[in-house]
Amino acid sequence: MTELDDIDGLAAEYVLGTLSLEERQAVSERRAGDAALDRAIAAWERRLGPMIETVTPVAPSPNLYSKIRAQIGLAQHVVSLKAREQALARRANRWRNAFIGASALAACAVGILGYREVNYRQEATQYVAVLQSENKLPAFLMTIDTRTHNCVITAVNAPRQFDRIYQVWMLHEKMPKPKSLGMMNEGEMNVMPMAPGPETDMLMNASFAVSLEPMGGSPTGAPTGPVLFTGKLVQATP
Amino acid sequence: MLAGVASGDEAAFAELYQATSAKLLGVALRILRNREVAEEVVQEAYFKVWERAGDYKPEIAAPVTWMAAIVRNRALDEVRRRVIRPTADENELDNLESGDEHPIAALERAEDVERLMRCLDGLEPEKKQMVKLAYLDGMSREALAKRFDRPEGTIKTWLHRSLAQLRGCLEQ
Repeated sequence: MTELDDIDGLAAEYVLGTLSLEERQAVSERRAGDAALDRAIAAWERRLGPMIETVTPVAPSPNLYSKIRAQIGLAQHVVSLKAREQALARRANRWRNAFIGASALAACAVGILGYREVNYRQEATQYVAVLQSENKLPAFLMTIDTRTHNCVITAVNAPRQFDRIYQVWMLHEKMPKPKSLGMMNEGEMNVMPMAPGPETDMLMNASFAVSLEPMGGSPTGAPTGPVLFTGKLVQATP
Repeated sequence: MLAGVASGDEAAFAELYQATSAKLLGVALRILRNREVAEEVVQEAYFKVWERAGDYKPEIAAPVTWMAAIVRNRALDEVRRRVIRPTADENELDNLESGDEHPIAALERAEDVERLMRCLDGLEPEKKQMVKLAYLDGMSREALAKRFDRPEGTIKTWLHRSLAQLRGCLEQ
């Protein structure tokens, strides 16, 4: 039997699971740039992996798969959003290039803003806000359809509450205090039918927050419980 | 199947989930002892699998081994990061000794499982138990030191020797 060298010993204990949190974090950072360590870890995963054969399988909750699908769908929305923004920026650039030389820069800037506005109005119909706490799974999803003026908030991953209720708020710099959009614990909630107009434009710049309140909602009309999740609207689909 | 997932094939992803989710949840639950947290870890693991299926290298590990490594890493980080209250059902897992299984199940085990079990049996009983408590139940060096009433340094030495012995045995 040969002794384990430093790298192999570290990899083995990392895979075995006996390292402290700090040691684990150090290893996972180091493996990204250390091919020898990465290989050693993969080798130990292969060696010890068959042990999971002895673990009793446990059927997941029936809704786990749909939660996973929702999370993937959301990520794809965000990806397509980025792609759309890039496409939009490219078009705006083309337009600006065509204009340069013919007009002053200031006029151009105004032109771009106008162009973007028109562009969003014509094409964008759905916006999504992901309400989550930092680095955690999305808790609520808010979707707004600017064509049908429908606004729906769906609980996707909010921890179940028994004696309190989630209250959703809209915050905007032009509003003196947060506006309550409603209360919910699970499922879906339809929020105010939105009339197009200044209110719609305000929505796009607003922040949304979820606080935990006593049953029946905040007694003061402003969030009293901890604010658990926040988010802003992003354009999701044309 | 993972190749299908890598190219964004939803049917392949559903099939992969069907084939592996109960085992992966079992793995996460053994470490976390809390159903809600374990399901969260499994959910994140599948999300990662969806995003990173292209990184999977069949020559390095079987798919379930690769996925189990993702689940175990997340579960171990989580259990080290905070105190997780065990849910009632999961406390009973303590009584679930994984070593005794039905002889027919043992017959059907794949060759690599067979080899690992044989090599584990080659360790002294206490060392074998230590390796299993670490790998399957997520016990840290510190927890093992308490459990076996030995200083952490001793535990580390024992673990390294046991792992070296396992490696030697597996490479024969």
